[in-house]
Formats: sequence, structure tokens, C-alpha cells
Amino acid sequence: MITTPRASATPRRRVATALLALAAMLSAGACSVANSGPEASSGAANTVRVVLPEEPPTLEPCDASLTATGRVTRANITEALTERDPGTGQLQPALATKWNQDSPTEWTFTLREGVKFHDDTAFDAKAAAFSIDRTVGSKIDCNVDGYVFGGIELTATVVDASTLKVKTAKPDPILPLRLSFVEIVPTTTSTTGKVREPVGTGPYKIAKWDTGRSLRLDRFAGYWGKAPDFAAAEYVWRAEGSIRAAMIKSDEADVAVGLAAEDGVGDAAVQFPNNETSYLRIDATKPPLDDIRVRQAINSAIDRDGLVASVFAGLGKPAGQLVPEGVTGHSSAIQPWPYDMAQAKKLIAEAKADGVPTDTTIKIIGRNGIYPKAAEAMEVVQNSLIEAGLSVKIEMLDVNAWLEYLLAPFPKNLGPTLLQAQHGNQAGDAAFTMGQIYGSKGAQSSYGTAELDDLIGDAEQASGEERQTAFAKALEYQNKDVVRDAVIAHMTGILGLSKKVTYKPNAATNDEMRLADLHPAG
Amino acid sequence: MLTFLRRRIASSALPLVVVILGVFCLARLTGDPGNLYLPLSATPEMRAEFAARHGFDQPLFVQFGDYLTQVFRLDFGESLRTAEPAADAVLRAFPATLQLAGATMILAILGAVVVGSWAAYRPNSVADRVASFTSTTAASMPDFWFAIMGVLVFAVALGWLPTSGTEGAAAWVLPVLTLLIRPFGVLVQVVRGAMVTALSAPYIKVARSKGAGEVRVVFGHALRNAAPPALTVAGDLTVGLVNGAVVVETIFGWPGIGKLMITSILQRDFAVLQAAVLVTAITIFALNIVIDACYALLDSRVRQGVTT
Repeated sequence: MITTPRASATPRRRVATALLALAAMLSAGACSVANSGPEASSGAANTVRVVLPEEPPTLEPCDASLTATGRVTRANITEALTERDPGTGQLQPALATKWNQDSPTEWTFTLREGVKFHDDTAFDAKAAAFSIDRTVGSKIDCNVDGYVFGGIELTATVVDASTLKVKTAKPDPILPLRLSFVEIVPTTTSTTGKVREPVGTGPYKIAKWDTGRSLRLDRFAGYWGKAPDFAAAEYVWRAEGSIRAAMIKSDEADVAVGLAAEDGVGDAAVQFPNNETSYLRIDATKPPLDDIRVRQAINSAIDRDGLVASVFAGLGKPAGQLVPEGVTGHSSAIQPWPYDMAQAKKLIAEAKADGVPTDTTIKIIGRNGIYPKAAEAMEVVQNSLIEAGLSVKIEMLDVNAWLEYLLAPFPKNLGPTLLQAQHGNQAGDAAFTMGQIYGSKGAQSSYGTAELDDLIGDAEQASGEERQTAFAKALEYQNKDVVRDAVIAHMTGILGLSKKVTYKPNAATNDEMRLADLHPAG
Repeated sequence: MLTFLRRRIASSALPLVVVILGVFCLARLTGDPGNLYLPLSATPEMRAEFAARHGFDQPLFVQFGDYLTQVFRLDFGESLRTAEPAADAVLRAFPATLQLAGATMILAILGAVVVGSWAAYRPNSVADRVASFTSTTAASMPDFWFAIMGVLVFAVALGWLPTSGTEGAAAWVLPVLTLLIRPFGVLVQVVRGAMVTALSAPYIKVARSKGAGEVRVVFGHALRNAAPPALTVAGDLTVGLVNGAVVVETIFGWPGIGKLMITSILQRDFAVLQAAVLVTAITIFALNIVIDACYALLDSRVRQGVTT
């Protein structure tokens, strides 16, 4: 049948009109994406451009222990009373100029005078006490509360405008260190919900957050300290590492965070120890892993040098403990387990001869993307353990499914497992590692012993050199008599840096990138 | 026509409810969000407080009842991750995806109509073979590879285009090209096949014998009758894009709904996920109805078949 022009005119006109209308709508928006203003000016003079792997969920200061939040907020927008030097591990004055322990449970902080918030209000002891109350024991799920304080009770009292007293229910020798995580905000900050755009005392203030696209910080003219070199910072985020690397190469960004070797940033790559240690947590409650010889064999069978060289492309350093150098409690006596397949085979054979069911299948619970080449690393480990005489399978999971295995209570009816994990100690004290990971009741602990609990408990109450020695002793005991882990490597991060900027990354860079440490090149 | 639309809307309601219920239940089977939103060292008391505060300690049917009540009040809840209303996040991301999908499909359809008709006009000619080779290659191109290569060549090596982002017309080129290439390849093949059949039909000979020009014969008579199968395939491809161009949005930092949904799934941000799925599902159902309506407009047999 042939349709006549008359019969076809109406529907055809309708379709054409609709198409024209759609085309007009699209062309109207062709220069900008819906609901967005122009992206912050690219490469504007005296602006440093940073590309992140993800957009900060919020800039809430009490969530500053979250990497995605902390690396923008901490020391840039907000500041704490104290700050830890990531190089030396020493605690430095920040908004508090000095502090003194009056008794085992009481501390006095002398606050810096002449400091202003971005909203021009004055920083004083009232703001400091308010910020501590808002963060500790919070009803707004502050990450810092769980990460740093974990149920510790404390009371902050204003003595005068520049003096603050903090009292703890139990003696806490590292309270000033814990307070380095409490970012100070004005008393006008919400106590019923998290804030996306906080006001702080830092060298930069939020100029514009175009959600989903970019974030711009401007230098705070009223900053109490030395003014940073860059007048502004512009953050964008790209999930794909190769795109972040390409942005450095095409001069769209000055700093690219969280790169991997295969992202191809080339000469612009800067390597740095990223404060993370990869390890396998051994579930020592179930056979055959409940036999220490099997756990020792697992450690002997892993070729750490080979893993670092081939799988991690040289980005890392074989490790023997979760507490790296520079963190209080690190033991220089602990070395990485030497690779000795013959010894591993011998230990497994001995255990088998004594009736240990070494042919029971052990499951490696891995996490995709926990570090570059995570799955490949587990395949290498699996191969080594099979060679040593064990039966091993791998199951790779996404973050939340993996967390079900990381955190107690663990799934029921679980067989023997090795959990692929990574630990970073941002705080610089072994207390933030030992209790939760090695204590028998720790949130991430699959096994512990009363002796180790006692050693950890003693170390937590100690201070100064005694604290260092006590934690090191606990780590050495773990490594020799418990062998709950197979620690693999202290990991290395890669930062992309354009030729326009100089910056020396450090162990804290992943969690806290201080814009004031970035300088124009030349 | 109204009867046709009424029936299509009614038949879409049940799948919509199934989608909402499915997303709600399945999301909650994937693990406790408290594990993600609280620090690893959080105490059991903190975890219990978190669950109570967000209603995760309630039985599933109670949570679903609360959710439905909220939805009827157009309240989709608050994002666990960003502490902003879930509706704000979705309504910010969805137009960005619609724009990208719209631009892509308009260009793909226009290009496919021209190239497909050109190829069909003289079957087995050099033009036909070039078009077939090009469309097959385009339809088989992995979008992830094409996107990365596009960035490396046009942004890094040549410096003609930005690597990513959303600012300016230049920023649209690589995302649209990446999304365009596969629909273009598929549609060229569909248009070509339908046009070959249409151009050999008796009514075309009649039209030519009446003195109609070739442009009118091809685009006026043959294309109109070849359009329904192309429209069906184009509709299906559009639905795929509206559902979120995840790869393109992730690579190019495009703040669209696909990227938002993936982030919500990975972060167990239930409120945002549910709002995003609901809005996307409604849009897809609406889009299908529009496509069916266009189909009916183009072919009176479809209208008559439905209304009789």
C-alpha cells in the first residue's frame, strides 16, 4: 500500500516537530551539562589543580579520618589543636600552642590567640570544647569518634578564652595525639547533622562546590599562619586512573592522586610510602590454621620480594609487621619472613604427620581493588601455598561483602580462611593497630591470646619510651608466638605531579594533602 | 490512540512495582551499610545506634512500608554518603544523562538513516560494502577501549580536546563519540536491511512510474515504511543509554545517573539507589510508551490492531 502525502502529513509533522524541539533543547545545553555552572577556570594563574579519584562525600570535619574527606578538609579548611609531623612522628602545636598533663586523667591546653574562623568569628576555648563535644560520643555518626576514640569518655571544660581543660574517664597517655583528629569548628556548626561545607580556621576556605563536578578553595586572607603560595585550589575527580594520569600529561591538572604503575603517568610519577601495609589475616581458630606450624609455613611460602618486584611493579617494601617505621611501637627486631619453600613444605609435612587436616580447603577471601593487582597477588599466594602442600581457593569480593569477613561477628559456618587485608595507621601510634587487629576482642580480630591481650593492655597504658618498648614487645610476641598474620609489604603510592608544581609527598599524603606544602615550580 | 496509551500505561505499572520491590529487597541483602559508614574500630554500641538511627534494625517489611509511605509524599530520604536529600542527587544527575543520551541518539539516528539509505540504494555497490564494513566495525567496538584511545590520541597526543569534564562543547565530543559508535553501527545495519526490502517493494515502482524524484522515493516513501524496525532498535538502544552510560560517565567524569547508581550500589546508599532506580524506571516506561506511540503513528495497522 502506498500512503498518500495527505494521509502521512500529520504524523510526520508531529515526529519532525518533536525531533526539532529535542534538538533545540540539546543544542541549548550543548555547552554545559544540566544543573551545572561553568567548571572552575582551568589553569588560572596561581591556582593549583588537583584531580582526585572520587568526589568527597562531604567535607564534614568530624569525618576527616575518611580518606576522601580528610585529604581535602584536614589542614586546609579546618585545623585541630595539635598536629602530627608525618616525617618525625612528633606532635606539633596547631591551634593549641602548648599542653600539659595535670594528672593521669587531666590535660590543660593553651590555645593560640588571634585566630579567626572563615566567617570572621574568633576561635576560643568555647569553640574548642564545642568541637570536642560534637565529635566525641557524637550522635551524628562521626567517623573520627569511632576511629580515634572508640568509646573513650572525655569532658572538655572552658577555663578562659585561651585555656581548655580536658578530662578523661580513664588515664589516656595519648590524648593530645587523639585530639589531632578533632577538627575545630565554630559553635554555630550543626550538632544534629553533618555539614557538607564547613567553616574552619585553615589557610583555605570553600569558595564554590559545584556538586558532581568541581570544588574550589580560595586562600583565606585572615589566616593566622604563613599564607600558602597558591591563591586558590581547584579539585576535580575522575574515577579512572589513566584519565587522571592523562590530565597531568595534557596540562589539565597539576596533581593527580591515587595512581597505579599501569596508569602511565610517566616522568610525572612521584613515589611515596603511602602508610598502608598489605597482609593476610589468618583465621587461627579453625584447622588446619589452628596449628602454628601451618601458619609459619604460610609465612615461609610467600615470596615477598618476588611479589613486590613482579606483581606490585617494585612499588612496595617487603614487610614483617603492621606497624611501620615512624609509628610508635614499631619493632626494628622484626624482619620480613624469609622465603623458604623447603621449610614451608617441611612444616606442612610435620603437621600432616601429626594428624592436622592439611588437605582441608582454605579459602582466601580477597577484595577487588584493595590495592593495585590485588587479585593477581592472591593468585601468586595461592600458587605458593598449593606448592607448600595446602589446598587453597580464592574468592574475590567487593568492599561491603568483604567487610562482612573483616569485622566481627564473622559469618557463621565459615571454614578456614585467609583474609586479604590492608592496614594504615594514620595516627602514628600502635594503639590504633594492636587492639582492634590483634586483641582477642578486637573488631577486626579473628584470633588472639590472653598473653597478647595483656601485652597490648600494658602498652596502651604506658607513655613515652616505655610505650614504644611495650608495643614493640607485643608485636614481637605476636610475630613469634602467635603468628596470626602473614604480613606482605609496606605499600608505595604514586602521585602525578606536573612540572608547574613542587611537592614532597609523605606518609600522610593519601589522607591529608596540605595545599600549603604545594609550591609553584621555579 | 488514547485506549492504546491507557493500556500501555496500565501494563507498565506492575513491572514498575516489581522493580521497586526488587531493588529494595536485593539492596538490603548485600550487607550492612554500617560496615561502610562506620570506622572499622567502631564499637558494637555505635553500630547498633547507627542501625537504629537509619531504621535498619527494623524488619524488612516495616522498612519497605516506611519507604512506600515516604515515596507517596515524594520524600526519597537522605543519602547516607553525602547527607543530602536523595532526590536532589538524582535530579541533578539525571538531566546530564538525558542530554548525553539525547545528543547521541539524534546523531546516531540521523547518521544511520543517511548511511543506511545510501548503502541500500545500490545493494552490493562499493558504497554498500564500505557502509557495511564501517557499521560492523563500529558495532563491535569496545567502548572502554575507544574512550581511552580517544583520550590518549585527541587529548594527550594532539591536544585538540579535553581529556574529560563537562565544560564547553569540546568536552562533549569524546563522550558522545564513544556512546555514538555502537548505536550508529547497529542502526546502519538495521536501516540498510529495512531499506533494501522497502526499495524493492511494488509501491516504490508505482511511485517512480508516477514521476516521483529519487529523494522523495527514498526518504518519503521507502524510509517511512522502513522506519518501524529501525525505531524499535533505536528505542531499545536509547533505553540502554538512559539507564546510565556507566563506562562513559566513569571515564569522562560525567556526573550522570549511571555513575550515581554504581556509586550508590557500591556504597550501599539505599536512599539514592532507590530514588535513582525509580526515576530511571519511570522514564524508561515513559520512553517505551512514546516509542510505541511513534510506532502506532507511523503504522496505522498498529493503531487499529490495538484499538479493535
